[in-house]
Formats: sequence, C-alpha cells, structure tokens
Amino acid sequence: MNLILTIAWRNILRHKGKSLVIGVILFTGAFLMTVGNGVISGMAAGIEKNIIDGFMGDLVLISDAQKSDNILLPMMGASIEPVTAYREIKGILAAQPYVKRFLPVGKNLAMVLDESTTAPGYAYLLGADFGEYRKMFPDNFTVLEGSYPAPGERALLVPTFARDEFYDFYNIWFLPAGGRVVKENLKKEALANFPTLNLSTSVVMMGMTSGLNTTNDIRFPVTGINRYGALNQIFGHFCLVDIESYRECLGYFTAADMAAQVPREEKKLLELEGSDLDSMFGGEEMIVSTAKKAPKLKAEAPKEAKLAGDGVYNAVFIKLNEGEDYGKALKELNKALAGKGVRAVTWNKASGPIGGMALIIKGALFLFVMLLFCVAVIIIVNTLTMAALERAPEIGMMRAIGAQKTFIAGMFLGETAVLSAVFGGLGVLAGIAAVKIIPLLKINTKNDMLQLLYGGNFFNPLLSLPDIALTALQLLFVTVVAALYPMRVAVNITPLDAVSRD
Amino acid sequence: MNIIEIKGLKKDYPLGDTIVPALRGVDLDVAEGDFMSIIGPSGSGKTTLLNVIGCIDSATAGAVRVGERDITALTDRQITEIRLNKIGFIFQTFNLIPVLDVIENIEFPLLLMKSSAAEARGRADKLIEEVGLREYAAHRPAELSGGQRQRVAIARALVTNPDIVLADEPTANLDSVTGASILELMRRMNELEKTTFIFSTHDANVLKYARRIVKIKDGLIEKEPAPA
Repeated sequence: MNLILTIAWRNILRHKGKSLVIGVILFTGAFLMTVGNGVISGMAAGIEKNIIDGFMGDLVLISDAQKSDNILLPMMGASIEPVTAYREIKGILAAQPYVKRFLPVGKNLAMVLDESTTAPGYAYLLGADFGEYRKMFPDNFTVLEGSYPAPGERALLVPTFARDEFYDFYNIWFLPAGGRVVKENLKKEALANFPTLNLSTSVVMMGMTSGLNTTNDIRFPVTGINRYGALNQIFGHFCLVDIESYRECLGYFTAADMAAQVPREEKKLLELEGSDLDSMFGGEEMIVSTAKKAPKLKAEAPKEAKLAGDGVYNAVFIKLNEGEDYGKALKELNKALAGKGVRAVTWNKASGPIGGMALIIKGALFLFVMLLFCVAVIIIVNTLTMAALERAPEIGMMRAIGAQKTFIAGMFLGETAVLSAVFGGLGVLAGIAAVKIIPLLKINTKNDMLQLLYGGNFFNPLLSLPDIALTALQLLFVTVVAALYPMRVAVNITPLDAVSRD
Repeated sequence: MNIIEIKGLKKDYPLGDTIVPALRGVDLDVAEGDFMSIIGPSGSGKTTLLNVIGCIDSATAGAVRVGERDITALTDRQITEIRLNKIGFIFQTFNLIPVLDVIENIEFPLLLMKSSAAEARGRADKLIEEVGLREYAAHRPAELSGGQRQRVAIARALVTNPDIVLADEPTANLDSVTGASILELMRRMNELEKTTFIFSTHDANVLKYARRIVKIKDGLIEKEPAPA
C-alpha cells in the first residue's frame, strides 16, 4: 500500500498541471457541496425553529376527516376540516407530561370582497384567542401600526405581506382604525401613488369552506398591521383574527352559540318542515349582497366566548417540552386521542411544502453538485486515461517484472484517491471554515426572499456530521467512478506493450 | 540440468489478413547458470524467442518449460508470478520507474513479492554496491547516464535472485565502452549469483562475452557457433 501511495503521490507531483486541473475541480465540488449543505442545513434548522417557535409548534392536531396533513398552505386553498371536540381534547392535552403548551386555532381561507372590483381576492385567516396566542408565540411578530389586541377583543391584524398583496390586487392601502399612513411602511408602488392612495380601515371577508354553506360576509375592522420577525413571506399570508369573529365568518358554531339557550318558539321554527321555508329567507335585510352591507361586528365578543373549550376550531398547535422525543410524543399523543376524531401530525407535515422545502432545495443542490462532479469525472477519466496510455511502457515494464493487474489498478485508484483526499479534503475543510465564519459575520436581512433562504432573519449555516459524511461519500463515489475506466485501460496494458515500444 | 527446454516452438503474428511467422519451430535447451547470447539480424526472431521464454508473449504452438513448469498453459496471474519470482528482465531502453529513485527502483520487485521493507532495502543495498552506484542511490533515473540506468536495470533484474535473466539487446543504446562494462558486469553477476543469463544482440563485439552463442535466422535456430 505504501508503495502504491508513494508512486501515486509522486506521479501527481510529476504531472503537476494535470493534477492541478483535477484538483481544482475536486476542491470546488467539495467546497460547494460542504457550504451548500451548510446553508441548506441552516435553512432547514431556521425554518424548523421559526415554524415551531413562531407559528405552529412541534405538533398539530387536526380532524380525522382532514384528508391532507398539510394545513398551512394546502393545494388550491382547500378548506380545513373543523375540530368540534376541543372540550374533550383539551383535558387530554393538559394531562400529557411532554406537552408544554397548546393553542386551539381556526385556520381557513376567506374571500376578500370589495365593491370596487368584481373579482374577489383571498386571504388566509388564523383565528385564535389573542391572549392565548401571545402566551404561545410571545415574540413572533411586532405590531408596526395600531396595537396588539386585548384578549377577547374583536380584532384583525393584517401582516405587511398581506397588506402589500391587497394593495397589488385592490389598490387599497389598509390602515388600523384611527391610524395614519406611515410612509416608511409603504411599499414602493404605494409610495409612488401616495397623494391618491385609496385608504381603508376595514375589510369585508367571507369564509370559505367546502362542506358548509353557512359562511358569512363580515366586515372586520383592521386593528393593527403586524410583521412577523422571521419568514414574513410565509407567515405574512395569515391575517390574525379573534376566534369568535373567525367562527362567525366561517359559519361555525361560536362559543356564544354553544352557550345560548334556544327559546321554545325558535325551537319550533327549527322543527318546521314544508314549502314555507323559502319565505323565511325572502327578506332583503337577511342577505348581505355587497360588502357595504356587511354587518359590523359587535365591539366585544359575548362573555360566553371566553369559555375556551367551546366552539369549533380547525387545529390545535402544540409545543412540547424542550428536548422531548418527537416520535415518542407523537405516538403517545395519538394513542391518548384515539377515538376523539383527531390526529396529531408533526409540524413539517402540517406545514406541507414549507416543511419539505429544505429537503427539495437540498435535493436540487445535490443534483447540481453531482452534475459538477459528473463534469469532474469526465475530465478526470480523460486525463487519467491519457496518462495511462502515455505511461504504457512504464506500466508494461511493471507488468513484465511481476506486477499483477491488481497492483496496476491500485496504482491508478491510489492516484485518484490521493487527489480526492488532498484536494477534496481541502475543499471540505475550506467549506467547514466558511460555514463557521459566516455566522460570525452576523449577516441579517429583512428581505422576505432572503429570509426564506436563511430560514430566518440571520444567515446562519450549520454543518452536521451527516452533511460532511455525505460530501465524503460523494467524493468517494467520484474517485471510484473516475478511476474505473483508466484502471481498465491500464490493467490491459501488457508487458509486450513495453517491449514492443522499446 | 536444463533450466529451459523448448520443443517445436512456433509463433505467428497476424498482420491484417496475413500471418507472419516469427518462430517456425525452435528447439532449444538452456543449462542452469549459462551465459548465452542469441544472435541474428533484425527480424530474425530473437526478441520473440526471448519474449516467449520470459512469459511476456505466448507461443502459437510447441512446448516451453521454464524451471519445472510448462508456461504455455498458465493463467495471467500464474504467468505474472513466474515473471516475478523466476525471471529478471533487462530492457534495451532500461525502463526504470521515473518517479522512484535508484534504490527504490532496485527494491521494487521485492516489494511486489511482499518482502518486508527492511529486507528489500538490505538486498537492494547489496546490489547497488555490486553495480557501483552507491553514491547515486537517491537519484532519479532522469539524473543518470544510459550506462548508469542499465546498471540499475541489472541490479533490479537480479534483486529477486531469479533463475534466469533475460536481456534484449542490453547494449544497443550504449556506447561501446559503456556496453562492454555492462556486459562485464552481467558476466560478473552470472558468476557471482550463479544466475542464467540469456541476452540477444546483433553486435559481433558482444559475442566475446558469451559462453554459448545461438544463432537464429528467419525464425529458426541455425547452428551454434563456438564462443569467441
């Protein structure tokens, strides 16, 4: 082995030019792969941290009737099935030792109506009790305009991202009631049209569900404009609304509905059957045909709404204690909730493509680097094959004096391995150094797209041992593949080739 | 005792649609410890004969026994082992490994035989002394003259204590004085190590060193002239 490596190393030094070309390619590939893996791992960790700490917790409870686990941004805005048994579920969740905190939420799509356009727009609504939400996600956003709603207050917080989208769609710039335009918060196009800006302090929304035909147009007063601290590009799709307003908009049973005693006469009405039913809904005052006619919500929710166990939700966000085993907690929770009509899923399943985004980008990076390595393989194969042919007398002589084919093969593999180990190793080390240095530079961004790439506000790539092992495996693969053909050429050189060229 | 026995050896080379016979039925016995020269004009078949004896080329027909084994029916691995263990080669153009220095070139076959590094270095040291290149031990082949390289090749051929050393025109690329010194060295090693030497040449001046001369012409052994 020493002999093979000695010959390999000296041949590399002897053919410095060729070795350098191969080495630079291997160095670049290993460096890119290492740094790329670091960036993607950092992104994945950032997304995981920001989704868990800032948006949906570690686990999410959803209805058994819910087909897809992805409730964050489902395909075509498909509606999320209601969870109706929260009162029972709550007790079970509270009894689990691994559960740190949980938050029931409503989450669905709403149609945004405006008299100025016939084409409706859409917004995601996230309904929650503001007090509970604050406890669950204390620092996940800041209110830039207006104020953070009080617990139980009827309120709508519009994220900056959604406000920008509304502006693009309706040409309306939303403000909190009693607020003024903050020029620094205007998007570029809105700033250009500042003198003629169409301002509004309320928005009419109609809940959208696939199963129910009972949704309502609700005029929401905008109480604040918020910006998520991280991943505003994703979380900024969701307008945060108090849970009772959300339920009314979606046509769900509210806490007030649940608490209400239906008078005897109304019970009789509910029991009515026959053709006269249509006349009950004939009056114009019963229908909200335009956004202008949408009823204003009461200033405060009924007291019954404070009965947190009542009413309908779409999901329950759950945070686990620090260091809890996800898999174990998920298994135990699903066991505890058996027969309750709900199931627990992990955050990355519940967040659908967002959770899988890091994996997709990692796959793309892997393919890119493999493409680079393919080019490297072709160049290395070509260079080593030429070297084998140029060295035919030397190889033939080695064979003549007793070197077996395996020795010749080992010599070529050794040369490629030494090149890979030296240059690839340097590439990996340089990549590790870069990944260690980048966080020290404290690169941060408020740019939404960059936040996606960073997995948060800060560019914080990190490397795990599996990432480094993956790069090493790729290098090994390149080494073996690149050495195969030249090895074949070399071992087929016979002693006679040495003699005949003599 | 014969170390080589050849009966009815034929070797043909295909050249397009034509078959060119290089050896047409050679019979030859070589005694152990001999110092034999094969002479003949270019194209007579002397290199082919050496190649077949040295297991570098295969016979088309006939029997070739080297030591105890018929080499015409062996696998590549077995043939290679015979080349490593039984035969030493000296090439016309020296054919040293350019990236190894003199001492490493000499010990190279021993390392192929899996000898220990110390054992290989010890044997190589002895031979480098015998070929007079002690002071060049750390030099690379490119830093040596033709004569010095051929001395290294001789030391390398002898380092494994082979039964036979085959040298194909070992002096062809050397001036007459260096060529004579190389032949002197080979003869001395033949006497010292008791190794059988067979070398080909078409240089009449070389013949005086041979104890036995075999003349080959048109692929057939003509007669054995008396050594000068």
